[in-house]
Amino acid sequence: MPQRLIVILVEGSYIIQSGIELLIQEIPDLVLTEVYDGTEKKLVDKIQQKKPDVVIINPNILNETVRSVANQLNKNGVFLVGLVDNNTPDNLCSLFKLCMNINDGKYELLEILKNIAGNKTSGNAKKTTISELTNRELTILKQVVFGLTNQEIADKLFLSIHTITTHRKNITRKLGIKTVSGLTVYALINKIVELGEIEQK
Amino acid sequence: MLIQKEMKLADVIHHDHKLVPVINRFNIHLGFGDKSIEDLCVEKEINLEFFLTILNAYHDHKYFPKKHLQSFPASVLVNYLNKSHRYYLDYKLPELEDFIMKLAEKTELDKATFTLLKNFFSEYKSELIQHINREEERVYPYVLQLESAIEKGNISPELIRQMDEYPIGDYETEHDNIEEKLFDLKNIIIKYLPELKNDDLLFLILKELFELENDLNDHSRIENMILVPKVEAMEFSIKTRNQ
Repeated sequence: MPQRLIVILVEGSYIIQSGIELLIQEIPDLVLTEVYDGTEKKLVDKIQQKKPDVVIINPNILNETVRSVANQLNKNGVFLVGLVDNNTPDNLCSLFKLCMNINDGKYELLEILKNIAGNKTSGNAKKTTISELTNRELTILKQVVFGLTNQEIADKLFLSIHTITTHRKNITRKLGIKTVSGLTVYALINKIVELGEIEQK
Repeated sequence: MLIQKEMKLADVIHHDHKLVPVINRFNIHLGFGDKSIEDLCVEKEINLEFFLTILNAYHDHKYFPKKHLQSFPASVLVNYLNKSHRYYLDYKLPELEDFIMKLAEKTELDKATFTLLKNFFSEYKSELIQHINREEERVYPYVLQLESAIEKGNISPELIRQMDEYPIGDYETEHDNIEEKLFDLKNIIIKYLPELKNDDLLFLILKELFELENDLNDHSRIENMILVPKVEAMEFSIKTRNQ
């Protein structure tokens, strides 16, 4: 299964929540992991913890906080989608990369969702390279398995910590394994490292 | 389906068999005939409102009983959460461990891979146990103290200090790492093990892992949706009382 984009929805109405959920289920590249109704405390923190790729927000339910929420999420590179209706003022729509109008028909809405999926996935060619790690990624995987921190790996390989973080994200995305112990098991099963090598470190 | 007190529990179980371990935690044993939920609650001295909340929350992930939050004591909820911990510790984890140990004798899985899998599982297991212990030693007693302090109107400075240092809101965030490990374990089995001629046992392990994951998710949803707001309300009431 291809790695799917994580979508979070912020919408107060149950009927609309369920509708969006049904639509998202029809797009294999998207998965809706969390729905908030907008009344939660520390909403932005809660959203960021889930590391979403896409956040769909109904700007009407956040009232005056919508700008700051949008700005904070934007800074983190989240793809923001506005869930609007015919009465939503244009200046609110401009906070979002894309807007979906709840009065649109099913296939118009699906088209927008497909665009979102395409937009986010095409850039780094997620679909074609699943589970094929590059040589650089293999080198970094080894260092992770040996127990080195991102900083230590960066120093050792003369790379920036930012580069290492990106490689690690890609490794996790390609393999579908998030924890260091999981990566260790993977590396050993696939003979990327030998048990003896790890024990020496 | 909204589960209601007049319904026969047998019908409810036919409708959603995932509720079997749940009723078990309320000390309801199979063979309950045509009794309604209400009758069984009277017979077993179960808090009806709470039982319905739990059944519905496990049955429908969207069920969110805002209005019922205050209608049962927190101690009843803590008691339930403790019982589901026992289910993981005394039943699910040993069962899974047993299956994993059998991989060595019943399949041709090579020794090295078997050891890796076994160790990864025991790492997961000890993290889960650690998490459960922390809840039972720190979080639950705190909840019970809050409730009894409010009942008696006797709020100690020690409790206030605890409230400031470790409010219940902080606690929601602590589930993540264990969930990731369980996910990795599933993915390693699904994607990265060498192909075996006879993998019946692996299917069984995978099914168990999915079930465990499901039940743990329901468990933490109940903590986040019911326990946390209830405790936040108690914390708030103590704070306002003290001003």
